[in-house]
Amino acid sequence: MDSSGNASHCFPMDSSGNEGNLNRKMKTVALNDGPAPDISTGQKEMSPGDMLRIKQQMSNQCFEMAVQVQADKSKRSCSTSEADRELPDYISELERVKTLHFNNTLSLHRMQMWHAVGEKLKQSDPEAEALKTVTERCMALCSQIKHLQQESRNLQDEITEIQKTRLEMKRLTHEKMRQIEELTSKKEHADREKYKAVLEKGQANLEKYKKMAVMTQNVLRGILLACKINWLDDPSLRDIAMSLEEFPISD
Amino acid sequence: MSLLKPFSKLPGLNSANILLVENEEQFQQSLADVLVEETSVAVNVRLAKSLPLPMENDESRPRIDLVVFIINLTSELSFQSAETSLKYLDPGYFLGKVCFMVTNARNASVPTEHLDAVRKLAASLHCPLLFAEDQTPDGVTSATERLLTVLKVAASLVPTTTALYLSNLTRCTLPPDIDQPSFD
Repeated sequence: MDSSGNASHCFPMDSSGNEGNLNRKMKTVALNDGPAPDISTGQKEMSPGDMLRIKQQMSNQCFEMAVQVQADKSKRSCSTSEADRELPDYISELERVKTLHFNNTLSLHRMQMWHAVGEKLKQSDPEAEALKTVTERCMALCSQIKHLQQESRNLQDEITEIQKTRLEMKRLTHEKMRQIEELTSKKEHADREKYKAVLEKGQANLEKYKKMAVMTQNVLRGILLACKINWLDDPSLRDIAMSLEEFPISD
Repeated sequence: MSLLKPFSKLPGLNSANILLVENEEQFQQSLADVLVEETSVAVNVRLAKSLPLPMENDESRPRIDLVVFIINLTSELSFQSAETSLKYLDPGYFLGKVCFMVTNARNASVPTEHLDAVRKLAASLHCPLLFAEDQTPDGVTSATERLLTVLKVAASLVPTTTALYLSNLTRCTLPPDIDQPSFD
């Protein structure tokens, strides 16, 4: 343990490093206390699991140091923005490789397990019997599943057929409706055609007779004025002359 | 310049070494007490007020796997001390072996600029930023658990991960509106 008082005379004033080692495990104590060349006697028994764990830790640390060494070797000057842009690609690549590796490990374990199960089934001890009953039950369930799936597929096909026929019916209905509408509209149109011709003829006749009436009236007015007939005294003559004024002069 | 280098010494077997740097020297003590109770692996805790560490025990000091800077948001000095200590750390540490821990972030008297400054520092260095509550034993325990998770990865005790890989997942990011004034 260093005290800050001792440190002050050798170093800049703000760096008083006060350090305390607070580990209480026996392993580290054994390593620090005296020169013990045989490390294993001072520690508790290491299980294979512990050794594997330590081995993994060491390989991880070696990997990190190798990465650092390689980074130092291939130092090229690139801007941080460029690195930031490339970073997501690298990360996704890394994740892709990791998932691939994980999936491969899983399938390997699966194969190993099935091989072990197969080996077990070949023997005939109580565990194998239990395995056999479980396997038979699985088979029964699987065949039932297949049967049900086949049924559902058939039902689905029937439904599709019925939908098709319904669609066909709808289409035919629409066609028939359209034909009916066509026919009704055509009939109306034909009637109106004849009717229009008659109407025009009637109107032409009306115009002709109107013109004749107007001309006759003008002639009568001319005669009344020219001959200076006194139409005020005679009531019937006066009526005729008054009606002459009402009729619009067509031109 | 006495830089603390990550790979200049041989690593220890089945052990993890963590260095807690704190200007006030309070929280690190309680953290250390809980950290050494970890049973699955031997955790060595070194405490320091600031970097650089004295040269005298350079020989006996083991390789440091994780450096944690504890910053108390209520004091400006804490942040400055941490910033100056950063210069004495080899750049190799910033690939996942440095962590920032912040206390008193919920304190109402803390201006938001302090937290923003720490956030920006952590984001610029690509380091994780943890928040801890140092007054209650529960807070200390949960902070210890999180530190242990990061420490185990940094000490290569987790088989499929390295510190660099984890740092990509845990790095601090800045919210896009960090420079805009907050509601209060």
